[in-house]
Amino acid sequence: MSAKRLQLLGGVLFAAIIAVPAFVESRFILHMVTLIFFYIAMTSAWNIPVFGGKMSLGHAAFFGLGGYTGAILYVKFGVSPWIGAAAGVAVSLLGGVVMTLPLLRLRGPFFTLASIAFAEVLRMIAIDWRSLTNGSVGLNIPFKPGWANLTFQSGKPFYFLSLILAVAVVFVAYRLRHSALGFHLRASASNDEAAQALGVDTRRAHFIALLWSSGLTGLIGVFYVFFIYVVEPSTMFSLTLFSLQPALNGIIGGIGTIWGPVIGAIVMTPFGEYLRFYLGTIQQGLNYVVYGVVLILTVNFIPGGIVSLVRPKRSNRSDGSGSSSDTKEAR
Amino acid sequence: MPLLQVKNLTKRFGGLKAVNNVSFDIQAGEIVGLIGPNGAGKTTLFNLISGILHPEEGHIILDGQPLNQLSPPRRSLAGLGRTFQVVRPFAMTVLENVMVPLLARDPHMDKARDSAMQMLALLRLEHLADAQPDSLTLAQRKRIEVARALATRPKLLMLDEVLAGLNPTEISENLPIIRQVHEQGVTIFIIEHLMDALMAVSQRVLVMELGALIASGTPQEVTSNECVIKAYLGEETPTC
Repeated sequence: MSAKRLQLLGGVLFAAIIAVPAFVESRFILHMVTLIFFYIAMTSAWNIPVFGGKMSLGHAAFFGLGGYTGAILYVKFGVSPWIGAAAGVAVSLLGGVVMTLPLLRLRGPFFTLASIAFAEVLRMIAIDWRSLTNGSVGLNIPFKPGWANLTFQSGKPFYFLSLILAVAVVFVAYRLRHSALGFHLRASASNDEAAQALGVDTRRAHFIALLWSSGLTGLIGVFYVFFIYVVEPSTMFSLTLFSLQPALNGIIGGIGTIWGPVIGAIVMTPFGEYLRFYLGTIQQGLNYVVYGVVLILTVNFIPGGIVSLVRPKRSNRSDGSGSSSDTKEAR
Repeated sequence: MPLLQVKNLTKRFGGLKAVNNVSFDIQAGEIVGLIGPNGAGKTTLFNLISGILHPEEGHIILDGQPLNQLSPPRRSLAGLGRTFQVVRPFAMTVLENVMVPLLARDPHMDKARDSAMQMLALLRLEHLADAQPDSLTLAQRKRIEVARALATRPKLLMLDEVLAGLNPTEISENLPIIRQVHEQGVTIFIIEHLMDALMAVSQRVLVMELGALIASGTPQEVTSNECVIKAYLGEETPTC
């Protein structure tokens, strides 16, 4: 497909997305699409450090930090959620620093494993620090509709807010990937030693990538809390919902790419909800068994994710016959 | 003042002294070869100088600046370039590979692309700019490795076996590139197993055996040195 036709297709699709709430009255569909937008944003934010090969399974930590900050400021101190969003970003950035500094020494799976612990510790703190978080009961967002309170009668404002978030995060991820930082991350992911020998401060690159990722995830967390009207530890710091799910979306869509997380979130969010709804009632946890199978199949048969099927890896012979004398002895 | 000063450098791996009290200088503008049997400590020495390994003792000084406390990327910024024996280009196009070191110095994308293109032209790789390195020959990948290191604009370029594994035709293609780089004013420190090739380019040769520097001199001096012959051919009771 030519670039022009692809652009046209994208334009039409985007127009359709914007028009959806005008025609669709079903709250269920609006909710589902909003959820997809949230997951696109979340997965794209999670994906930023993955450019450099750092896969976190602890992003619920930043999501929860952001969400709790926004909710506590609003419920306990009457601070506007819009200011709360800025505070949420600040707190998740702080969380990003605390998690990243000791963890950056760890490579590959060790980084991933340690990141899980970080979110779990925060979940415990959220349960135990009752005076601030109201323990495992959590805090409810009072229903006072209005833009100032980020609370709405209809599902439409959040449809657009989450869409804006998704577009913004994908845009940031795109810009970062094509910046010097993106080059440094990709270089580090394929050969860290060589990247360092070429003058790339790879630890700094990973650190900055994780800060972008944690800050954006915190921001998404704040909006999500006002979308569901409640914060409680087992949701906000949920390993499965906000640590594993973005990773799963990313892996199935295609990690380390721009469109992989988008496609992954679009495919996996309805699939996940469906599984949770139908299989979850038969036997709790059965949906995760199916998840596991899907994950194993993906990693085994399409390691590049769905995006690698849509857009096959650039041809090895991209320079055509012009260099036949150079490539003929390829080994 | 020499460009590179290495003083009493020692690195132990457990009980083994991989590099044992090694001292030498490299003057600006030289091409210095480093030879020695397998396991002599040549690559370990490179890794110590580039900062991947830390010595137990000794000092490394580049252009008057002590390197011991600097991280590998800082050493690169200080003017130390190197290639790796096992070439593993980044999983991106040839052009992007060469842009990585440039972007570490100046984040402007367009500037980096232009300079990288120039570097590729110098190494006769410009027609492969958009190719993925894993589709290329070993000789071409080794040239990418050199292009990348050269893009750091090093004062001293350390080449680790950039000719090993190539066939004679490829060697005759890649060998002039080393001279060409040298003509650009880059001082070169080169490890090479292929004696003929090394002797052809080097002005001076250092010889290592079992972690120690056993000889140093012009190619002719070194090849006629008894210790060196013994190191390569073996002797039951080495006297050197």
